[in-house]
Amino acid sequence: MTTATAEHTARAPISSVASAFLRMDSIEDISYPMSLLLGELGTIAPVLIYYFVGQLVGDNPEVGDDYFTFAVIGLCVSAVLQSALSGFGGSLQRAQNRGTFETLLVEPVPWVFLPFAMNLWRVILGLIGGVLIFGLGYLLGANYVFSGIPQFLALLAFGILASMGVGILSASLMVLAKRSQPILTLYGLASSLLAGALFSVDQLPPFLQTLSWAIPHTYVINAAREVLMTDPGTFSIGFGPAMLALAIFNIVVFGTGLWLFARSLQYARKMGMLSGY
Amino acid sequence: MTGRHESVGVNVENLTKTYYPSPAWMKFLVRSNIKQEVVALDGISFSVKPGEICAVVGPNGAGKTTTFRILVGLTTSTSGHASIMGYDCNTESVAIRRVVGWMPAEDRSLIMRLSCAENLRFHGRLQGLKGEELNKRVHETLHKVGIGHAAESSVFALSAGMKARLQLARALLSDPRVLILDEPTGSVDPVASHELLNLIISIVEEQGIAALISSHRLEEIEALHSHAILLDKGRIRYDGDLDSLRGQLDRPTLELEFVSDHTAASAAAELDVSGLGEVVLQEANLLQLVLSPDTSVGTVLDRLAPRLAEIVHVRELQTPLRDLLAQMYARGEARKEEES
Repeated sequence: MTTATAEHTARAPISSVASAFLRMDSIEDISYPMSLLLGELGTIAPVLIYYFVGQLVGDNPEVGDDYFTFAVIGLCVSAVLQSALSGFGGSLQRAQNRGTFETLLVEPVPWVFLPFAMNLWRVILGLIGGVLIFGLGYLLGANYVFSGIPQFLALLAFGILASMGVGILSASLMVLAKRSQPILTLYGLASSLLAGALFSVDQLPPFLQTLSWAIPHTYVINAAREVLMTDPGTFSIGFGPAMLALAIFNIVVFGTGLWLFARSLQYARKMGMLSGY
Repeated sequence: MTGRHESVGVNVENLTKTYYPSPAWMKFLVRSNIKQEVVALDGISFSVKPGEICAVVGPNGAGKTTTFRILVGLTTSTSGHASIMGYDCNTESVAIRRVVGWMPAEDRSLIMRLSCAENLRFHGRLQGLKGEELNKRVHETLHKVGIGHAAESSVFALSAGMKARLQLARALLSDPRVLILDEPTGSVDPVASHELLNLIISIVEEQGIAALISSHRLEEIEALHSHAILLDKGRIRYDGDLDSLRGQLDRPTLELEFVSDHTAASAAAELDVSGLGEVVLQEANLLQLVLSPDTSVGTVLDRLAPRLAEIVHVRELQTPLRDLLAQMYARGEARKEEES
């Protein structure tokens, strides 16, 4: 048997795969303009709520001297990370239910590209939501240290990767379980409680504080406050340690997530259950 | 596009597939409907050459879709070997995906909110096409399947026939050497389905593609005049052309119409004892005789010579393909029972 021709073994480049999904997902979402607009409004509405809550809280050492800014940063980071976390699982479930998933798998695309490409539009929407929250917060009086924005963006980038990693782990199980995303559900519950998006991690009981160290949201949210606020409250992580922890988390979770995704697809192929839902 | 073994097309050797239930400890995690072992393919072998259409026929559960899914890499085989242009279907997945165009049975595999052109652009990008080359290929392919005028129409607004053509266009977009079409006319009306099959035949001939087509519509399969594989319960019952199958199984049936019921009845009684064939129908002034293997029409007419003036019409009937297949499947069942 002769060797395979280069033309036949050429895989589509990731830029081409990413642009395919980006264009398809954006056309689909923009074709439902009201849903898209209301979705973004729903993302930024809590800013108004915490504007008034901030006026009630006033000065508190645990959340610093400006609770509104404290909360807006928590909301902004959570909105972005949540999109990165749930985007791939949502896209995968839609593709399974619609019957388009298998048509993706028969294209010459390395399957490990799919978790990134299928998540791209959701991450962009999350970032748009984050920018809107950040901007609305500023208009309503949030005080940011603008010189910390480059560090904030670096934290956000690492946080997005970490969330995508957890999302891939969760979606890998969905290839087999078809509907539930147990990891995402548990992680979502844990991150909303433990990461300190709206209150200081110092306010949690000690055993929950220990658990909060295991969640990347905690590092991104609290280190973001440290680089964007003059008085970020009593809970401190530090930019450098936060980046290091996120980098380690990303290496471990991405490696595990992509391995599990590939294994799940192989198992589903063997069991003949790729097409089920 | 040239390949490793351009002259090979599809080659399947002793292919088996058994679906197993998930292990008990995984039942909570794995959503599977399989409760006990199911043998979907039981050692099938066949080949399809470039430029050849092979029709895969069989009742539900025969193993048609499993065969196709193994060939496109969506399912792995349990044993045996399947290859396309020399590429192994289990291990050379990317190369297989480069040379195969697949049309699944369901039209919901299209992206309904997107236009026809955008559907193809999406898949073109996944194949690594871009810019002008992508647009040119999309435009040409839509015109090739006859829906160039609907390029900007949303898929959800298309008729079933146009959706089928768009699915065919998607399968053809990568300029494949092998086409695998799973019930391409499944949801299409008879006229559109006839047109679609003619289109497929002309594309296959023009481009020298090896094509595998499954269908439940036996009259369509017969009209293809192609190589056919008859599958039943994971085994191949027949592999060859349908005309030869008809030659093997079909015994000519003669229909005779007489001037009166009485003449028909007496002719039936005479033919019944003549040994020339078996009277299978005698209703009013009509009778049907399935001829014995060595009996010709002339012999029958000779036997009825005294009544020739009372015969109004003589017709030779062709057994419908579905009846021939039913006969063949029944023989297969009987053989299996004998073996067991």
